[in-house]
Amino acid sequence: MAENQTVLSVRDLRVFFYTNNRCNKAVNGVSFTVQKGKTLCIVGESGCGKSVTASAIMQLLPRLSRIESGEIVYHAPGGDIRIDRLERTGKPMRSLRGAELAMIFQDPMTALNPVYTIGMQIGENLMYHTDLSRREIGKRTVDSLKEMHIPLPEQRVKEYPHQFSGGMRQRAMIAMAMSCNPKVLIADEPTTALDVTVQAQIFSLMEELKAQHHAAVILITHDMGVVTELADDVVVMYMGNIVEGGTVDDVLRTPAHPYTKALLASIPMLGRGRKQEIEPIRGMTPDPYDRPKGCQFMPRCDHADGQCGSMPKETQIGPVHRVMCWHPLEARRG
Amino acid sequence: MENAKGRTTRLDRQFDRLRDMEEAGTYVKARGGRVLGRILANKLSLFGFVAAGVILLASMFAPLITRYDPMAIDLRHIEAPPSAVHILGTDKVGRDVFSRILYGGRISILVGLGSSLGSALIGIGIGAYTGYRGGWLDGLLLRISEIVMSFPQIILVLMLVAIAGQSLMNLMLIFTLTGWGGIYRMIRGQMLSLREEEYVTAMRAFGMNTLSICYKHILPNALGPIMVNITLSTAMFILQEAGLSFLGLGVPASIPTWGNILNAAQDLRILTTLWWMWIPVSTVISVFVLAINFIGDGLRDSTDPTQQG
Amino acid sequence: MFAYMVRRLLILIPLLFVICFLVYLGMFLTPGDPVSYMIGPEAMQNLKPAELEALKEALGLNQPFIIRFLLWLGGVMKGDFGYSLQSGVPIKNIVLARLPATLELSGVALLLSTVFGSLLGTVSALKRGSIGDNALTVAGMIGVSIPQFVFGLAAIVVFTLKLHWLPVGGRIEPDDVTFWDRFPNLVMPSLVLAATMVAGVMRYSRSSMLDSMNREFIKTARSKGLPEWRVNFVHGFRVALLPVIVLIGFRLPMLLGGSVIVEQVFQWPGIGNEFVAAVRSYNYPLIMMIAFFSVFAVLIASFLIDLLTAWLDPRVKFE
Repeated sequence: MAENQTVLSVRDLRVFFYTNNRCNKAVNGVSFTVQKGKTLCIVGESGCGKSVTASAIMQLLPRLSRIESGEIVYHAPGGDIRIDRLERTGKPMRSLRGAELAMIFQDPMTALNPVYTIGMQIGENLMYHTDLSRREIGKRTVDSLKEMHIPLPEQRVKEYPHQFSGGMRQRAMIAMAMSCNPKVLIADEPTTALDVTVQAQIFSLMEELKAQHHAAVILITHDMGVVTELADDVVVMYMGNIVEGGTVDDVLRTPAHPYTKALLASIPMLGRGRKQEIEPIRGMTPDPYDRPKGCQFMPRCDHADGQCGSMPKETQIGPVHRVMCWHPLEARRG
Repeated sequence: MENAKGRTTRLDRQFDRLRDMEEAGTYVKARGGRVLGRILANKLSLFGFVAAGVILLASMFAPLITRYDPMAIDLRHIEAPPSAVHILGTDKVGRDVFSRILYGGRISILVGLGSSLGSALIGIGIGAYTGYRGGWLDGLLLRISEIVMSFPQIILVLMLVAIAGQSLMNLMLIFTLTGWGGIYRMIRGQMLSLREEEYVTAMRAFGMNTLSICYKHILPNALGPIMVNITLSTAMFILQEAGLSFLGLGVPASIPTWGNILNAAQDLRILTTLWWMWIPVSTVISVFVLAINFIGDGLRDSTDPTQQG
Repeated sequence: MFAYMVRRLLILIPLLFVICFLVYLGMFLTPGDPVSYMIGPEAMQNLKPAELEALKEALGLNQPFIIRFLLWLGGVMKGDFGYSLQSGVPIKNIVLARLPATLELSGVALLLSTVFGSLLGTVSALKRGSIGDNALTVAGMIGVSIPQFVFGLAAIVVFTLKLHWLPVGGRIEPDDVTFWDRFPNLVMPSLVLAATMVAGVMRYSRSSMLDSMNREFIKTARSKGLPEWRVNFVHGFRVALLPVIVLIGFRLPMLLGGSVIVEQVFQWPGIGNEFVAAVRSYNYPLIMMIAFFSVFAVLIASFLIDLLTAWLDPRVKFE
């Protein structure tokens, strides 16, 4: 197995959006690391900033936004690269994207270009990041489809996205992302648009790839079930901050932040039986333009007090377990 | 706060400004994005309203503005260049050009607007009802509209003019009968999607009769695109009338219209030396049509919430 | 793909039949003696009333309307379109003589407006909000507001009468001369005809391009580290092209209609020019047949554009 090696470090990242003539602090101070051969899950509700973080790492942010401050460091074999300092469409960043850092998206039907064959779209990646000849690219493309367990790859290579089934399309997209053997694979809700049975297949495929290519995986999801299946490490995001982070055992078995606890209590979990209690989190996610002062979760928290009117600091409550709360639950329990 | 990349572009400076405003609480509550685009559109529509309004009013109040009869022939002053007596000179038979432009505007605008409203009436009347009901009637009318729209409109119009004869009423009638296709298609399309809405099902469940549902309730939702269509059709019909009258096949020559005035420009001599007989009219037509296009665009922007910048 | 072609053709046939019927109905309703449509004017002059009656019987003119329509239809399919009222020349000859000119003019205008319109619209979209974009938009709107014939007249004044660069009108037959020899005559009419189409194509391709660039696959393309030009053109433009071509198909009648006026202004010897002359002289058979041909041309061109669209869109190609 691969040793503990940090492949990506994000320190105090802030990403601000400037649409509608307002300033939206979508990501407001986020730090985490990604280890080689491990899966980091970023969990949170819609709008918490998890996709934005992923886009920032890939320097794929939309036009009316920017990385405000902070560091994104890719620990390449040849040395560290400060991604946040690179031009969005400049050559250094483009040579990273697709080759060392790859991303797969939620809906493969819209994420793939409908007028080009799958073979062409995978081959494009190889064309721009390797020196292989046309024939070799063709062969590699077929091989990558084979690796994804897609039957009849020689034929499939010449087909168009709409001729694939949903699960197969997602596999094709994964094939495209993995074609150049990236060190980091970012998966943005890869199974949300798929049936549950297909989900399981995709996840086992990703586990297989992780083991074979020793890639680090950042998996973005709002589904706790996915987290329990695949994560090695977890960070929980809420309104642009990481409220809790640690190994999957730390966070899921002994959640310290009230939000994490509430999140776990609000979804049915397979195995807990029919009489498990499900409680929705009270209140609503605040309007990003009209945020509460201090701790963002305070209006919905059952354990809040006056101190929560100011932004909590991050505290370590375990070797890798950290939480951003004035009254972490473990402390109260202990 | 220093920019993470260490360099500042104009966009970055704008962002900095917005961020500081947000933090100070002095942000501007804008209603929608595309700030620059919207301002531009508004300025243009404003220009459109003003320009079209001026021309329209000038035409309507022509008798107050000019004392010349647009049809008065004055053989002692033919082809006179602009002067204090005739602001824009006179034409081949001594008629005052400025007065002809003003009075001509009445007819041209009447033809444009009238035909546009007429074809809208037909298109909406048919489209709303058959689009809502569907069935064989809808299919039939769709085919008919396809056939009508396959003809280049000018050819269809000229064909009917040859059969029915040239007159103002005929022209407006022919325009109306040949031009309803576009708005029919649009209303039908709208109807097809709107009739699936829940409130329609509710009204049907309450037993409201078809005509009422169709015209009184669903149609007002399509008002925006209808106004846009009428505006842009007016522009199109004015241009068509100008073209036909230029050829001498539109409004009869006895009635002054902008196109009729341009009929004289078929003569090369007039084109080169007697510029006042065709350049002012051309300018007026172009400005008026441009103004209407700006208005139509402005309407489209303000009534279509999904439009991109 | 083949099945698609056949299906489209099958839809076309009943449409054409209906149009033929309408054309014949139109001819039937117009004033004038139908015999005169079917035999030349010289022959008409020499006829005595009895001979006229016999001829009418022989030509089947006393038959019911439907029979006459079918006879006429049969004649049309064999290439007999009747005779021009004015000159007595068979209409078929007139049409065949004039058709190439109009096709040349419309074809060049179509090509110019498609290429320029889509390129300008694409550039406009990519530089959205810039001064260039706004300038192009306004220029486009001015373009559709100026009447086509005014464009033509102004062009003649400037380029022919003042600068003496280009001839005032007319067309040179492509018999023994090269394309460049004929080019000066072709330039102004085709540019004027293209001008109105360009504005529409430009505007539509701009919005189509904006739509296309907003789609998810653009993000995917960027995530592969592809250079921006490739993302914009190979991915963005290629997908934006489809709706634009469909739109051009819808605008074809406008192109043909425009040629009626442009041919007049530049004395271009095409079908449009002939049509106007026919209208002026109430030459009904010629009017109706040219109208019929114009629809026929539009339908064929639409069919070709449908094929092109199907070919460009894999989702249709492999139905």
